[in-house]
Amino acid sequence: MISYKKYNILGIAAGLCMSITSCSEMYNLPEDKDFISENLNYSDKILETRLGRTTVINRLNADNSTLPIKFEIINPRFGDGKAVTDFLQVFPTYEWIAEYDGKETSLQDIESKRRLVDKPIFEVDSGGRFIMHPSATAERITPRPVDTILKTQDIRFFDLKLTNSGGIRYIKDFQLIPWRELPYEPSSDINPYTGGVAPDPNAPNDPRKRAYILPNISNITGERTNVLLVNNNLKKDVVVYIRPFEGGNGNKLRFKFLNKDSLAINPVEFNETRWDQLVHGFNKEMTSQYVQYDVAYPIPLSSIRTDYAQGDRANVVFQYSRIGWGGVRTVSTFSLAFKIFRKGDWEIVFHFKNDNPKFDND
Amino acid sequence: MKNKILYSILLFCMSLCLQGMAQTTVRGRVLDEDGKALRSVTVINVSTARQLVATDANGGFSVSVASGTTLLFKLVGYKEKRVSLAAGQTSLTVNLEPSSTEVDEVVVTRGYVKRPKETSTGASNIITAEDIRDIPGSLETLLQGKAPGLNIQVNTGAPGFRGTTQIRGLSTLSTVGSGNESILMPTSPLYVIDGVPLDADRASEMGLQQQGPGVSPLSMIPPEDIESIEILKDAQATSLYGSLAAYGVVIINTKRGNSEVPRINYVNNSFMRTPPKLRETLGGNLERRLKLEQIFGNALTQADIDRIQTTPHLSDSLNAYFNNSTNWQDLYFQTTYNHSHNLSVDGGNSILSYKANIGYYSETGIIRNTGFDRYSTNLRMDYSPDSKLRFTGQVFAQLGKINKGDGSGILQTGVAAGGLSSTLLPPPSFYSVSSEYISSISTNNENGVRLIRPYVEGSYQIIDGLRITSALSYEFVSSTEDTFSPAAANNQFSKVYSFAGRQTQLYSRSSLNYSKTFNESHNIFINLFNEVRNVTRQDFPIQQDRTPNDNFQGPLGYDGFFSRGGGLLDNFKNERALSFALSTSYDYKRKYILDLSYRMDGSSGNGFGNLYTKNPAIGLRWNAHNEEWIKDAAPWLSLGSIRGSWGINVMPNSTLERIYGRYDITGNYNQQQGVGIRFGQIPNPNLKPTTSMQYNFGLDIALFNNRIDFVYDTYYKKVDNLLFDQRLNSTVAFDVLASNDAAIANYGHELALNIRPLRPGGDFSWTFSINGALNKDILLKLPAHYGGQFIKWNVDNLNGQHNIFRVGTATMSNYLFINEGVYSRDEDVPIDPTSGLRYRNSDGTFFQAGDPIWKDMNGDYILDNRDMVRTGNNQPLITGGVQNTFSYKNIQFSIYASYTAKRTILNNALAERMGLMANPFGQGKDNKVVVPLDGYNMWLQPGDVAMYPYAYAYTRSGTIRPFRYDQTLWAENGSYFKINNMILAYNFNRGLLSRYGLERVRVYASLDNVVTFSTYSGPNPENVTSMGRDLSNGYPIPRTYNIGLNLSF
Repeated sequence: MISYKKYNILGIAAGLCMSITSCSEMYNLPEDKDFISENLNYSDKILETRLGRTTVINRLNADNSTLPIKFEIINPRFGDGKAVTDFLQVFPTYEWIAEYDGKETSLQDIESKRRLVDKPIFEVDSGGRFIMHPSATAERITPRPVDTILKTQDIRFFDLKLTNSGGIRYIKDFQLIPWRELPYEPSSDINPYTGGVAPDPNAPNDPRKRAYILPNISNITGERTNVLLVNNNLKKDVVVYIRPFEGGNGNKLRFKFLNKDSLAINPVEFNETRWDQLVHGFNKEMTSQYVQYDVAYPIPLSSIRTDYAQGDRANVVFQYSRIGWGGVRTVSTFSLAFKIFRKGDWEIVFHFKNDNPKFDND
Repeated sequence: MKNKILYSILLFCMSLCLQGMAQTTVRGRVLDEDGKALRSVTVINVSTARQLVATDANGGFSVSVASGTTLLFKLVGYKEKRVSLAAGQTSLTVNLEPSSTEVDEVVVTRGYVKRPKETSTGASNIITAEDIRDIPGSLETLLQGKAPGLNIQVNTGAPGFRGTTQIRGLSTLSTVGSGNESILMPTSPLYVIDGVPLDADRASEMGLQQQGPGVSPLSMIPPEDIESIEILKDAQATSLYGSLAAYGVVIINTKRGNSEVPRINYVNNSFMRTPPKLRETLGGNLERRLKLEQIFGNALTQADIDRIQTTPHLSDSLNAYFNNSTNWQDLYFQTTYNHSHNLSVDGGNSILSYKANIGYYSETGIIRNTGFDRYSTNLRMDYSPDSKLRFTGQVFAQLGKINKGDGSGILQTGVAAGGLSSTLLPPPSFYSVSSEYISSISTNNENGVRLIRPYVEGSYQIIDGLRITSALSYEFVSSTEDTFSPAAANNQFSKVYSFAGRQTQLYSRSSLNYSKTFNESHNIFINLFNEVRNVTRQDFPIQQDRTPNDNFQGPLGYDGFFSRGGGLLDNFKNERALSFALSTSYDYKRKYILDLSYRMDGSSGNGFGNLYTKNPAIGLRWNAHNEEWIKDAAPWLSLGSIRGSWGINVMPNSTLERIYGRYDITGNYNQQQGVGIRFGQIPNPNLKPTTSMQYNFGLDIALFNNRIDFVYDTYYKKVDNLLFDQRLNSTVAFDVLASNDAAIANYGHELALNIRPLRPGGDFSWTFSINGALNKDILLKLPAHYGGQFIKWNVDNLNGQHNIFRVGTATMSNYLFINEGVYSRDEDVPIDPTSGLRYRNSDGTFFQAGDPIWKDMNGDYILDNRDMVRTGNNQPLITGGVQNTFSYKNIQFSIYASYTAKRTILNNALAERMGLMANPFGQGKDNKVVVPLDGYNMWLQPGDVAMYPYAYAYTRSGTIRPFRYDQTLWAENGSYFKINNMILAYNFNRGLLSRYGLERVRVYASLDNVVTFSTYSGPNPENVTSMGRDLSNGYPIPRTYNIGLNLSF
């Protein structure tokens, strides 16, 4: 009996200890959960992206909410309430898996650094960034109307649902108003509303005149006039056309040079040009009509600085030299910084409109 | 004072003469109940209260005493026994009975009244003089690890300053200071010294950059004079001390006279303090070669290489000015030899007793030009002509002198900066000096704190059981600081800083208490008291820049142009407080105990809306060991109690400024001087006091004649209405509203275990104690409009270690970048799949191999402030200590240890050390020393998997800032196990001593701050701020080697 009581007391004591140590729940403490701010917001909810190219918009002000937050596009609709799903369609788009550094030696080398994956045309990523992929073409999403009049029923609206363990927030009424695709830059020769030819800024109402892309030129003497060619608001001696051509394999980039009679100038004439470092292209093919490369689109592939690109544009420089007055060798240059977004066979044509460049020695 | 010593010596001589007469020698044995011999039983002469001898292995003893003397036999675990010698008796056999009710003797203080611990329902711990002896140093340091739940961090080695003390976790969200130097607003417990409350935080409320001497009031008390220390933890125990006691109470009682024959006791400590291991540096040519190698190996352009030619200390190695190897740290640090003396005289009987204690303590800091000297006296007299009337008079007088050099005491920024100078520069000499060195060594800094506190107490028993007591004390503290900086230390202009502060406390307490026993089983006790306090404080600093020259240090007449500071500091105080308290206790045969108490505190510092704060408490206790049926069933149970309590401590938040606002002289209006409010803070007369509510549940168990002693407590403490400054909307004229809408909960467990494994009475005895406390704190709420999270952005942009408060998580967390190692190769840097760009800094610099991996929380492949994360908890989760005492015959060996576990600390010292490589071209102040980094797991070449980024890449130090402070690379586990003290002591045989007229001689050798075991990569995981930051400009903690002597006669 005595020994039984002994254990009894020990048992009571042990039981009391256990019951106390195991019940911190009874304090009714608040949970350890994520913070999701009441002030979570985007600085601008009207998204005016350009079709046909990659656009990343990061306007999230998370107000120090705990990341990661799950972002979800919900309730996509036109302004009149009609459901819309076109901008959420899934299409293959490129995704980088290794860094493009401009030192790749073949197209395969470049292609091994990226891959095609299926993604919605327009998406919100895990960090709350809105991304419009280049798979967004005018056929898949109608851009803003040609007549520039924006009606609510043409605008795509959507809401965003943000979730973490702290709760759910809704940010409502984002507007997606895409611009028409411009397949290349500089695009000063395209009317951004209609996609047609842009009018001459000096005479906007004259249908006979048009706007051009102008390259940088330096020290090019006209063959006939013997004065330096100029490019400015009034006089445009050298203009550029960026246009697709027929007969390629879908990965070609061609440079062509036209004289004032629109006849091809032999590229060999531009004797100081570093043809091998002109663009990040391969299989150079030089004819009397043009120079052509196999390239990976878009050009440039990324916005880092490489041998072929400065900033986020590819840069091509053409040069030739001749003996000028007094027996001095002079170097003449023209160059263009450009981007091409759409994959295809493109040619960049430099047209000496008013006078041919002078290649002969003085 | 002098007369008193002379008088005592005279008395002492007389007593020797008296002793010489009528002595007889008595021999005897001491046995236990079974007739076995008991060794080490202390034999005491009751009339002189002197220990005569201890019994030998056979229980035998031999004493020479006058006939008719009463002897007292004492041994732990046995009942005391008194034996009066008959005339002519020469032999004696004593039988000791094992004691089972030793707890009765333990007495605790509740509401200024002594009560048996058995009837106390609150949670408390007692530390006796024996636990804190033999070590020179400040009192708080000695208490570390001795009581569960009392978290003391000795985080500064600055002489005369104190570390941090917390009872049961975190009680504040307020911080003082800014940036790296911000610390938690100190929430030290209330210290009650011989019945008078003392605010221990008064010297440290200004943060680390304080003004004035900053001497800790606890450094002013000589530990030798302390009889016992009691730590009150739960609200039932503390609520009687009212609003000041919200952070717990530590009751300190000093020694008092209790020997009929006057005793003189002298304690001497001679101790050496050595600096800890200092930072390793590469000196002289090694430094130059490392810098050159660093440039050659990492230069990106030829221009960088060419820059060597324009950097003289790199290129001109033959120049005598750049051809040195100076150990700068050695110029600032030193090993010091110090001593302390304490002399006390006490004597008296039950009618009149007196005590005088004189102490001197002198410590030179391990940083040159710092130090602390203390002179103290404590005189006390107790007079009780009969059992009714009692009268006590006491005077404390203390003088502390402190020297802070050119630092602020805890911070020694000048020394830290000077120690980082390039070793290539010449050492200070007749021809060349460094301004940091001159500033540290030649700044003339004198600080003095003078304290005097008389105390009188009278008490009279009106009828049996009813006693009236009244006490009055007045404390006056004067603090001064005078600093003179010579011209060479201060940009060629000498400077004077002066500080004068004054604090007074008038304190009076009157109480009426009544105790009565009915039918020998019902006991009641009622204690009614009131307290009146008037606390004043005012501090005046003044600073005169550009004084005429080094030889003219004052008095200074002065133009206001170069006069800085001056005027009254904003800690001005004139508080009047009035309190009433009632405490009642009822018990039935000491089995079932009920405590009820209630206290009201009124203060002129409270808001109008809450003039009186109310502090109720209730406590219950069941003493199982007093139950008859348990006595029968479990005779081995010496003590078994269950305690439960609940109580509230309310602490006002108000200051004059928070209630009334602050007013400035603001221009003229109609030729009248205008006075307008300052718009920084809106007055809030309805500011509520902080309420600290606590539940406590405890278990006391003692087994086998108290040989195993076990105390467990668990508690839940909710600190509500915490002060929190809310930023106001910009449409309101004012910036900040001092509001009350924050709360913290602390909950945890405390355990103390005390074991005496060996049978008492042997030659060998061993006591082992271990205690530990687990405390978790959780933030319960914040002002509603913050939505549950508030980030305290560190204004110091470079260091940027932000603090974050989030409801539901540990209160003090850091807001940092998450570091996940180092990029081994360039290919390891993640690529944005959309743009193809590498992860980059906000200025566009791409990360590369050797750079730290910072987690990109928001997934935009750009590192910026949006990628910060709440991480860590800079408050310790587990604290505690271990004590071991062995004794064999006359030799005693003790080892005391303490530990802290689960705490995040930021190793800013290492961040600074690695950052020293940032600029090998640095000249002037940027010409820094270099340190060997071989010991660190650092990235050196592609393919290395490392912890630390590449330190030598100086070209990246400006853009990537790999060693930025605001990252978790520096967040380390601050757990440590520290052996605080090791003591070896020897007591000389009494027989031998009596021949020389000595009562006791004890010699001892001790070590303080022996060794710290930790995985922490910095110098010392304890030497960090209360926010868990390891400051490289803090004061390192020395190791102490001490030899001491304790003489009694």
